[in-house]
Amino acid sequence: MIFLDSCLESGGVFVADIQQFIEQFQTAVDFQEAVDIQPDTELASLAEWDSLAALGVIVMFDMEHGKTITGTDIKACKTISDLFALLG
Amino acid sequence: MGMSTLRNVRYRGMASCVPKTKVSNLDVAPHLKQERERLTRNIGIFERRICPRWQCFSDLAFIATEKLLADLAWQREEIDALIVVTQSPDYLIPATAIILQDRLGLSHATIAFDVNLGCSGYPFALHLLGSMIAAGTIKKGLVLVGDRSASEHEPLFSDAGTATALEYDPAAPPMMFDLNSDGSGYRAIILPVGGHREPPSFQHFIPTKDENGIWRTPYDLQLDGTAVLSFSTQRVPPAVKRLMEYAGATADSVDYFLFHQANRMINETIRKKLALPPEKVPSTLHDFGNTSGASIPVTMTARIREPLEAGPKRLVMSGFGIGLSWGTALVDIDGARFPEMIEA
Repeated sequence: MIFLDSCLESGGVFVADIQQFIEQFQTAVDFQEAVDIQPDTELASLAEWDSLAALGVIVMFDMEHGKTITGTDIKACKTISDLFALLG
Repeated sequence: MGMSTLRNVRYRGMASCVPKTKVSNLDVAPHLKQERERLTRNIGIFERRICPRWQCFSDLAFIATEKLLADLAWQREEIDALIVVTQSPDYLIPATAIILQDRLGLSHATIAFDVNLGCSGYPFALHLLGSMIAAGTIKKGLVLVGDRSASEHEPLFSDAGTATALEYDPAAPPMMFDLNSDGSGYRAIILPVGGHREPPSFQHFIPTKDENGIWRTPYDLQLDGTAVLSFSTQRVPPAVKRLMEYAGATADSVDYFLFHQANRMINETIRKKLALPPEKVPSTLHDFGNTSGASIPVTMTARIREPLEAGPKRLVMSGFGIGLSWGTALVDIDGARFPEMIEA
């Protein structure tokens, strides 16, 4: 239960998981400079959130999570949490 | 059609020709430099070749063909077929292959026609000419593959023309193919204006700003990056596996895997999914960019021509892209000629 206590966020999202996801996201997008990203960070607020970033995120979902997502799926996401939810 | 085997077809040789003019993807305005460096790093393309205004794909392919014919010591009257696989014809009509029949001094008995395929073209080209030869009706044929698709401002495409010679030979090892098409994705890469669905008109010359702030006209190629990436990385690895199973080939038995040079993200994902070591997967993205249907032969010339001339090699080639279309070929090459890269 210690694990659950430390990892469970409201809404049932595992903090440990989303932190790892954010690290993967940062690598996938290839930010020029370090950016502080939180689950509620709006994707549109990130300077590098562009078509190249979308390609990186699709590859990341595929290679790290074995999950196929489309450009349309990504366009529907507003925040990092929305992207994370695509993992299903 | 799925999988097929062609017998009696010998891969005799191949030559590649690129324009002399180089374009650096990092040669941009200072305020765009950082953004361009990130893009270049991710697509893996630093330098491209671009035709001057007067140079067509057919000019490059013509030079490649002349060099190949000289190296093979083939007589022009012996050539039964000349197939051109391009999306950059000299004219919308007539076919570029027929113009080249005359320009190359081939006989009037030559079968000559064009095929409209792009990035996937090379395996289809080998299959098409190979099928005609395997049937025994023609003995020697040439297939010219490539495009003129580079532009100054976009970072992907690079120009090249190639010529490949196939010959009837009952002692040749079999070539195997897996060829596929999915027209439901035809909008993923498209030049929407200029054909009969939307003939050219005045309004098409007016540029509009796209969602990335880039000014475009309908005469510019439209490319849905995410759709192309998903298509390539989802369809290509299983197709390669399927062909290798059909051929009874293991990855260890294949000397080189040659993939269409799309961009680094696509190509690395495909390579990793197939668990192939980088040394078996030559790449020319860095200095030749995406040369469309020519990218497999250009990579053979630029990276492995010496090993290919040194002794028997087993190659798996996989082309994929516009159409959507994707094809894989397994070809055993022995005793073929591979002239050095020609710059013109």
